[in-house]
Amino acid sequence: MSSILYVHTGGVKTPERSATPIYLASTAAAMDVEVGIYFTVNGPQLLEKGVAEKLIVPKHDGEGAPLIRFITQALDLGVEFYVCQPSLDLHGLTQDDLIDNVKMIGGAAFNDMALDADQVICF
Amino acid sequence: MTTEMAVDQTLDCKGMLCPLPIVKLSKAFKTLEQGQVLLLIATDPGSRPDIEAWKKRTGNELVQQSEEDKVFKFWLRKTV
Repeated sequence: MSSILYVHTGGVKTPERSATPIYLASTAAAMDVEVGIYFTVNGPQLLEKGVAEKLIVPKHDGEGAPLIRFITQALDLGVEFYVCQPSLDLHGLTQDDLIDNVKMIGGAAFNDMALDADQVICF
Repeated sequence: MTTEMAVDQTLDCKGMLCPLPIVKLSKAFKTLEQGQVLLLIATDPGSRPDIEAWKKRTGNELVQQSEEDKVFKFWLRKTV
C-alpha cells in the first residue's frame, strides 16, 4: 500500500491554513493510501480539546465550517494523528489536553516514518 | 439520448465539494459486493481528475462517464 505523511505546522492564528492538510489526508485515506499527519510547531494547538469546535475555517462568503468537522472525518477514515513532546511544550500542552486518538511520538520515530513513507508533504 | 447502464447504488454528491465526493465514494464502495456498479453524480468541477486518480489508486473500474450542464456522472464497478 502507498503511504503519505503530512506535516502540519499551522496553528490557531492561521485558520485559513488549518484544514487543507487534514482534508488532503482524508482524501488520501479514501484512495486506500496509508496516511498520517504529524502536527508540529503550531500544529498541536489545533488538537487541544475544545479548540477545533470553535476554530472556523474561513470561506470568502463568511460561512466557514468548524475545523472539528475535518478532524472527525479524517479520524473516521483511519488517518493517524501524531504529535511530539517538544511541540506540546512550546504551547504549554500535555497529551491529556489533547483530543483522543492522537499518538505521541519522538523525533526519531518521525524521521523513521518519513523515510518509510512514499511521500512527505509539509504545510 | 444515451442508454444508461443498470446500477446497484446511486450516490448523489451534487453541491458537495472536495473532498466529500471521494470520501463518500470510498465509504459507499466498502458496502458493495465485487462486480456491483455505483453511479456517482457530482457537480464539483474537479470531479473528473479526482475520479481518475481514485480508480487508478484503488484499482476499481470506471465503466462509463458523462457530463451534461456541469453535472458529472460516473459509473464505477467494484473490481477489488
